[in-house]
Amino acid sequence: MAEARKSMIKIKPKKYKVGDTVKVDFIVIHPMDTGLKKDKKTGEIKPAHFIDNITFSLDGKPFTTMKVWETVSTNPYFSVNLKVPGKGKITVDYTDNTGEKNSKSKKLKPKG
Amino acid sequence: MKRVLLSLAFLSTMAMLQLNAGEQFAMSDADRAMYAEMLENNPAEIYVEEGGEILEESLGGEEAFAKFLEVSEKDLPKYIAGFPRYIKKLGNVVGIDQVLQAMQVEQGKEKTKLKSGKMFSMLAYVKSLANDELINIDVEADEHIKASYALGKVTYMTARGGRGLACNSCHSADIVGQVLRTQPLPDLGEAAVAGTWPAYRMTKSSLRTPQRRFQGCMKNALLKVIPIGSKEMIALEVYIATLAKAKGKKIAIPGLKR
Amino acid sequence: MKRRNFIKSICAVSAVAATITPSTLLAKDMPKGGNVLTYDAAVEAITGGKAVTDSDKIKLTVPEIAENGAVVPVKVNVESPMTDADYVKSIHVLSTKNGNARCADVMLTPLNGKGYFATRVKLGGTQDVVALIEMSDGSFLRAAKPVKVTIGGCG
Repeated sequence: MAEARKSMIKIKPKKYKVGDTVKVDFIVIHPMDTGLKKDKKTGEIKPAHFIDNITFSLDGKPFTTMKVWETVSTNPYFSVNLKVPGKGKITVDYTDNTGEKNSKSKKLKPKG
Repeated sequence: MKRVLLSLAFLSTMAMLQLNAGEQFAMSDADRAMYAEMLENNPAEIYVEEGGEILEESLGGEEAFAKFLEVSEKDLPKYIAGFPRYIKKLGNVVGIDQVLQAMQVEQGKEKTKLKSGKMFSMLAYVKSLANDELINIDVEADEHIKASYALGKVTYMTARGGRGLACNSCHSADIVGQVLRTQPLPDLGEAAVAGTWPAYRMTKSSLRTPQRRFQGCMKNALLKVIPIGSKEMIALEVYIATLAKAKGKKIAIPGLKR
Repeated sequence: MKRRNFIKSICAVSAVAATITPSTLLAKDMPKGGNVLTYDAAVEAITGGKAVTDSDKIKLTVPEIAENGAVVPVKVNVESPMTDADYVKSIHVLSTKNGNARCADVMLTPLNGKGYFATRVKLGGTQDVVALIEMSDGSFLRAAKPVKVTIGGCG
């Protein structure tokens, strides 16, 4: 049932240099069900289904890891900073409590 | 039973509207600024992106959209900012979603339901092509859009339903700003409803279109809900668009709402 | 101590959960909102009982009034040079009254450049949002702010 999860990585500001500290924003479409709510149509409790672990890496080396709980909003947003060391690739790997694994990448392209 | 209780609460709240008693429940400017910041990380942007991909793959993208409407790609953004429009080819005043359906028919493809996630995404994508353009609907352009505007105004002003309410009962200039159920009632022109919907609704965690929002409001006001894509709904959108145009509002899709 | 046993049992449960492979997790077996942990228990689990100091080095930004409890923006900024010798090791976002007091545990490194994290959380009602910070020297800091959750509006 796992379709490719949709997500976005945004780097702010759009133009940055080596040594600048940029904001790395990650938004992902995910129900983040708590396991406490009923499905309006079936009347059944929707089982807990939420992202539980996220790793932000730069060229394969993790620089931020997160443990996430079902109390985070649906279609969540996570934001951290990154001090730009040079050109590279940011990868966000995330799993949810069903074991589903996903990944999203974005190139880090400093100018100067 | 619940309905009766709700209407009693509604009536008593309406009666208390004289004071700004709701101030203690209303968000401060600092709070509103925090929510405005959230616009920069709107989950709906992912749906808009997806809509663009579906449009590209299934219909040929905005190039095909422009071609279907016989508009140059250069003029497309300003043209989109003038919807709903009378499209001669379709013989009706229509919204962007109906144009997309017509394209599907022309290309021999299956019609996507107007009330579907797929259509909401495509609609949002196409409308976002007009971002930053001033809303420029021209209700004098032809007799059809003139008639639609007139119908929209009547629909907006007609009191109906269990409580005898019209859109104007809560959104007229002298009521606007008063607090109902902890929320200050908005001026639909100033709030640029026509420019900021489709929007991500936080209470629904999904992308919602303006017509769907109107339906939600009608339900709460005990007005019989008008079907999406109907003459009256399109007419309402036409009327609401003129309200935003009068305040010099621009298109900014996707929006972010409660 | 009762509390320690409680935490031990929670840890045991999560250890078991970690060994269940995805293929064996059917919809009906999935935890039914079972991550119940009170604020005090969560703080204990994070700090191991160490002292926590309220600190104005932490700038916690939340709305005073949230017009809907499903999406409450939270921003944490901790003053820190973020060097290998002195950096923010982790930012824990908690709430005082949700059934599961935990929201997110963020482990930072000096490469982050700033002691910053932002997200959006669900609040089941009016309560405090808390930022619990662990610094690289092992000390714990805290900042808390109340959020009034209103559920209103039409439509």
